[in-house]
Order: sequence, then C-alpha cells, then structure tokens
Amino acid sequence: MNWWRHIAAAELRKILAFRSDFWVTFIGQALVQLLIARALWQSIFAGSEAEVMNGFTLEMMTLYYLIVPIGQKMLTGENVGFLSREIYDGTFSRYLIYPLSFFQYKAITYLTHSAFYGLQLILIFTAYNFFVKTAGFSTLLPGTLLFLMAAFAYMSIAMIVELLSLWAENIWSLMVLVRFFCLFFGGGYLPLTFFPEELQRVLVYTPFPYLVSLPVRTTMGLAPPNEIVHGALVLVAWAIVFYFIAHLIWRRGQYKYNGVGI
Amino acid sequence: MEFRLDFTFRIVMDLIYYAVNIAFFKVLFLHTELIGGWTSEQMMVFVASYLLVDAVNMTVFSTNMWWLPFYINRGELDYYLTRPVSPLFFLSLREFAANSFVNLLVAMGIFIYAIANFSGPWGLANLAGLILLLINGVLIYYCIQMLMIIPVFWTQSARGFVDLFYTVGIAMERPDRIYRGWLRIFFTVIMPFALIASYPSRVFIEGFDREVLLHLTTVSSGLWFVMLGIWKRGLRNYASASS
Repeated sequence: MNWWRHIAAAELRKILAFRSDFWVTFIGQALVQLLIARALWQSIFAGSEAEVMNGFTLEMMTLYYLIVPIGQKMLTGENVGFLSREIYDGTFSRYLIYPLSFFQYKAITYLTHSAFYGLQLILIFTAYNFFVKTAGFSTLLPGTLLFLMAAFAYMSIAMIVELLSLWAENIWSLMVLVRFFCLFFGGGYLPLTFFPEELQRVLVYTPFPYLVSLPVRTTMGLAPPNEIVHGALVLVAWAIVFYFIAHLIWRRGQYKYNGVGI
Repeated sequence: MEFRLDFTFRIVMDLIYYAVNIAFFKVLFLHTELIGGWTSEQMMVFVASYLLVDAVNMTVFSTNMWWLPFYINRGELDYYLTRPVSPLFFLSLREFAANSFVNLLVAMGIFIYAIANFSGPWGLANLAGLILLLINGVLIYYCIQMLMIIPVFWTQSARGFVDLFYTVGIAMERPDRIYRGWLRIFFTVIMPFALIASYPSRVFIEGFDREVLLHLTTVSSGLWFVMLGIWKRGLRNYASASS
C-alpha cells in the first residue's frame, strides 16, 4: 500500500502552490529573527563583558537562533487549527469515508510539512557551515531526526487540544496558548541554561525541553550521545502518552460530531 | 458570547503573552546589568509600553486586519466601497474586540505599575509625551500592518505578507539601541518598528530630545502618506467578485 506516499505527494504540491508566500516566510523567519536575536545578544554580551554566557558564545547563540525558527516550523508546521476548523465547518466528514483513519491521514500530512521544513533546516545549516564553519555536519542528521520525533509529539499534543473543539467548537486561542508554553519552556525564546536552576530541574519532568531545546542542542553538537538517546526515548514516551490520550478523546468525542452539511 | 470558552481562553492567552514577555527580560537580567543601555527598571517601562500598544491594536484593529485580506482576495470589498465613509476608516475600525478590551485594562495596569515603580527622575510632561508618542506608535504599527496586507491586491494570496509582519514585528519588542548599521536604518526608517515603543520610552526615561521627536514626526507622517498612496493604488487594482 503506497497510499501514504500519495498523501505526502499531494501535501507537498499544496506547500509549493504559493511559492512567493513560502519563500518570503522562510527568508523572513530565518533571516530577520536571526538578525534581531543576534543584535540583542550582542548587546547582552557587551553589557555583561563576558565571552561565554551559560555555555554559549555569541557565535553559538547565533547558530541557536538560526536553528530555532526553522525548528519551530518543523514542530508546528502550517497546521495550527487544522482539526477544529474542519470540525466547525463540517469538512471533517470526508475523513469518515477515507480508507484510512483520520489519525493516520493527519499524521502523514503533518509530518510531510515537518519533513519539508527539515529540508530547509539542512539547507540553511549547510549554508551557515559553509560561510561560518562553527558546527560540524555529523550532528545534523540526529538533530533533524529528533526534530521530526518532536514534531510527532507536538502533533499529538495539538490533536488533544484540537479534538476539544468537538465540545467547545472554537479553541484557536487554547492552541496558541499551548504553543506559547511549548516554545517558552522548551527554550524557543532563549536557551534553557539561562533559566533559574530550580525551574530547569522542574522542566526536565515535562515534555517541553525535549520539543525544542534537545533537538537544537543536538543539531549544534552540544548534547552528548547518552543525552541524545535518553532524550529520544523520553520523547517517544511522551508522544505515545499524548497520542493515546488523543485517541481516548476521539473515541468519546466522535459521537459529538454533528457533521454540518451532511 | 457565542464561544464562551474561546472568549475566556483569548483573555488567558494574552495574559500569558504579557507574562512571557516580562519573564523573558527578567530572565535575561539575571545574567546582565544592561540591555540596549537600559536597566531592568527602565526596560520594564519599555516592555509595559509595547504591551500597551499591542493591547490597543488587538482591541481596535486586529480583528479587522485579520479579515481584510480575505475581503480583498474574495472580491468582497464592494459593500465597503459603496458606503458614504472612507473605506479605509470603515474597514479598519468596523469591529471591536471585546475580549481584548479586558486585556487592555490589564496592559494599562502593567503600564501604571511600571511607571509607579520607576525611580528615575520624571515629570508629568514626560508621561504626557510618552502617552502621546505611544498613540503615534499605535498608528505606526497600524500603517506597517496595512503595508503588509495591501499587496494582497496584487499577489492574490489570502494572507499577503502578514506572516512576515508578525515575524519582523518582534523588532518592536526590543530596545532600539541594540540595532546598529543598516539594521538600525531598516527598523527606524524603512519598517520603523523601533519607533513604536522604544523611542517613546526613551523620551520618558531620558527626557525630550529634539532629534528623536523630529525623526518620529518625519517617519510617522511619511509612513502614513506612503500607506495611503499604496492603498489607493491597490483599490484601483481591485477586481470585484460581483460587479
């Protein structure tokens, strides 16, 4: 059965349909965020008169903020609001007649977006290495794979929230709220080593550091192999837990779906 | 109140946004004394200022700005073009976000708290200057947002460059002195995000500066006229779906 390949190919065609939007967003996010972050950290390094802050030099910090925006795209893709919108306007009904479960369908489309942004990560990381040469290539593959695993875990979290729209109809703001939490406590705004130590110790018991910080640090070559393996296992465990919860919610919630337009 | 849960979560979402922004700088100040030449206390005035600008924008403009590209893309502007008021005025101020109004009150609370806890020398003139320039900041924010939406007249994409606006918009949340060289020119003249809250905060913290005021006046009025000009050109390019 090659159906997953057909779904992925169709999704890729959709991504590439608005090429100008795509490239403007890509360049805007990667370049502008990087320049703003670098300007901020240049000022902070100058203010503290330190060469290294919490394990980061200015160059490492620059690389961190080069990877983070693309990593965020891999995590969240283009699909925020992807289920709630369909449940609200009734187009969700089509999944009921598809020859595969909507969970499988959504996972493939979601991960196609993530994989595509993964290619962007490889491209931009290679370009950075070519010009600046501060990071090796050996960590790029495990880093990208961890981002894909994190994307699956994030998708499962997103599905839990999205499926709540079977009861609440409009949950867009809750979705944004989840994204805020995942990015801030995951290290998307600033590296977790800058957080107070007590908070860092607590965060280890949450999925957040494994969603952003670990894949970024792995890509940068800052995470030792045992931390990568341990982190990958924890990530898989969280993904399974969230996926299971999403299934439970779906089993209860599917009877609430009233199929607008049927 | 059709979506009560969403209404509540929207309020919580903005509160979390405020908390994250304050926490971001609080965490940074655990590791340095100065950022962009400002201390933690001065930075709090700046953070409160841009949160206030954001809250006003969310309350007054954001819902209208969200729908505008769709109206243009689907050719649904006709209704607004035939009204006896300026279409730009009508489209920009048509809907008022009640849930964001609650957050506007919170943002005002944060602003008052930041000003009350500011130990540096300041007078009523400084405060009046800050408030006046923040109102100007709201207009700058609106103009830049419109400049990112108007290309929909030509690109036909339903979102225009709105995503880029939100990405580049982070520049508003950083003190202007961190920008140097051409990046400074970009954020103080071409896409003047740094003039929205950072320049007004400087007037409050450091006192009136003729150069700062002249720069603000020139760029703000220039931006307004550029936006109006491009809007009119866009309208000429508009193809209605019904006529």
